[in-house]
Amino acid sequence: MNLKFDRVASIVFLVLGILIIIESQKISESAYGSQIGPSTFPFVLGIVLIGLSILLFFETIRHQAMYKIVQEKEGGKSSNFKRFLIIFISAVAYAFLLEKLGYLITTFAFLLISFQTLERGKWVSSIIVAAAFSAIIYFGFVNVLGGSLPKFPL
Amino acid sequence: MSTIQYLLDGFAIAFQWHNILFALLGVIIGTAVGVLPGIGPMSGVALLIPVTATLTSGLPIEMAATSSIILLAGVYYGAMYGGSTTSILLNTPGESSSVVTTLDGYQMARQGRAGAALSIAAIGSFIAGIIALIGLVLLARPLSKVAINFGPAEYFSLMLLGLAAVSGLAGKSITKALIMTVLGLLLGTIGIDAVSGIARFTYDQPVLFSGIEFLTVAVGLFALGEVFKTIFEKDGADEPIAKIDRILPTKKDLKDSAAPIARGSFLGFFLGVLPGAGATLASFFAYITEKKISKNPESFGKGNIAGVASPESANNAASGGAMIPLLTLGIPGSGTTAILMGAFIMYNIQPGPLLFEEHPDVAWGLIASMFLGNLMLLILNMPLVRVFAKIIQTPKRFLLPIIIAISIFGVYAVQYTTFDLFLLLGCGIAGYFFAKNDFPVAPLVLALVLGPMIENNMRRALTISNGEFSIFIAKPLSLIFLVIAVLWILIPILMKLRGKNVIINEEG
Repeated sequence: MNLKFDRVASIVFLVLGILIIIESQKISESAYGSQIGPSTFPFVLGIVLIGLSILLFFETIRHQAMYKIVQEKEGGKSSNFKRFLIIFISAVAYAFLLEKLGYLITTFAFLLISFQTLERGKWVSSIIVAAAFSAIIYFGFVNVLGGSLPKFPL
Repeated sequence: MSTIQYLLDGFAIAFQWHNILFALLGVIIGTAVGVLPGIGPMSGVALLIPVTATLTSGLPIEMAATSSIILLAGVYYGAMYGGSTTSILLNTPGESSSVVTTLDGYQMARQGRAGAALSIAAIGSFIAGIIALIGLVLLARPLSKVAINFGPAEYFSLMLLGLAAVSGLAGKSITKALIMTVLGLLLGTIGIDAVSGIARFTYDQPVLFSGIEFLTVAVGLFALGEVFKTIFEKDGADEPIAKIDRILPTKKDLKDSAAPIARGSFLGFFLGVLPGAGATLASFFAYITEKKISKNPESFGKGNIAGVASPESANNAASGGAMIPLLTLGIPGSGTTAILMGAFIMYNIQPGPLLFEEHPDVAWGLIASMFLGNLMLLILNMPLVRVFAKIIQTPKRFLLPIIIAISIFGVYAVQYTTFDLFLLLGCGIAGYFFAKNDFPVAPLVLALVLGPMIENNMRRALTISNGEFSIFIAKPLSLIFLVIAVLWILIPILMKLRGKNVIINEEG
């Protein structure tokens, strides 16, 4: 629980609700002239979302004391932001390069980087597991099950 | 045709060799999912949807659907068996539905009775699974006969009830749960509107025309969200495991746990049928009940075998009971059944009253295979429990990146777009932050699955009534559903206001 997160979230959801109401008005009306068109449902949801986000904002004010207690309790935990960032960025690169470099190379590289980020050393077992996983998935899926995955670029 | 006849036909399907294989694969993976802390049944089922889709791609559509659902359901109830293993051996629950099992299970392991605790958990789960299945067989046709008379207004209200039930019990704050529900409904409106053919919220992006794929969102929010959480918060230290000596329980153990197993099974079954309650809540209630009616309640928490038998039976019975609203009404009552429902829809099969009329093979094949699967699980979990206990020792540094890689493979193999991969990673981040701040993600997924159906039924009902919203109140059944839905949200709020503790369902 995090007071700042909840407050920001309530404002984001409020803005989102307003945007949805505006945007739903731009949806063209359906041809057969019924009042209940494709914009009705999103419009109603937008109103509900605005109501709920206002409610959430008031809750953050009302429960301020409780947030503080929870925060002090959770404050001592160490976070591993750096290793998360490395793995996440390599996952984004993996997704981006998958179609360009092929499944085998990208999967192997992603796994090896992530294994090493979580625990340094033990290169041999890391390489074996990464290679085995990419090869089994690729050849099993493409050759045995007849699916298709991006090949080597060459 | 009578129910027995249908069931026998179902067994004929379940005993086809490939379906036996799928059931076996499902329960083995399910047990592994249950054993591994960090992957729950929800992410397990979500991760396997793409894999089963490719495994069954050579079969005709109805057979493919049957086999896939058999496997996915196997993962679901298999996880209920596996969840107890880590609770007992490690004092770390493999799933939220096994949290209470740690209380007495781990104590039993410390007294050298780990084997007895594990086998009682397996036997209890088996009996409970069979009881729940008998309930499912008996209730399936009568319930779907009632539901077949539902019009769009009744369906609309019933689905709202489903959403309200899951939101009402989903997290610490009902407001947050409702926000997530609305978000899910809104995500469901993206794409081409099925009724009018008009594009909504697509901003001329071709990838958005077919809508946001529920599979991508579910895998991202659950599987990746949990992985990211573990990367962020846990250090890699692996804890020691208790030893397993003898596996078979003594006669006294069996005698002591017979009644708790029976009570846990029935309690779990009825809580499972109720939307929103689910396995976690069932195991909590079962434990509390046992403690209340026990002659010496102080022995609980010190290795009382009833404290293992009852909750473990209850969570398995609940997972069987949860199939009833899904199959007969087409309303999933929990996050995991919502994902199962998404799998049905992927095969163009609509769960609900017509399922038993239009696709009896799928429905009864699944039910029959669950009998088979429970038997397999009993066999797997008794002699092979030592093998599964080994899975706990899989190093996290291999496990976590491999889950990410499987998620990416699974989503790409079904969607074939890079866009979905980015959406997947985005949902992973969102899932992590949502869960960390008590925004429950299960209602979002449920709403995303139900959203288009809710909207369609709403518009059909309003077309019938010429735009009068009073149709939802004028129809008696619809009114009853709406009243229950409102009560489901209001009662927990009122109880909180009066200072009472409300048990919530973290599994969803």
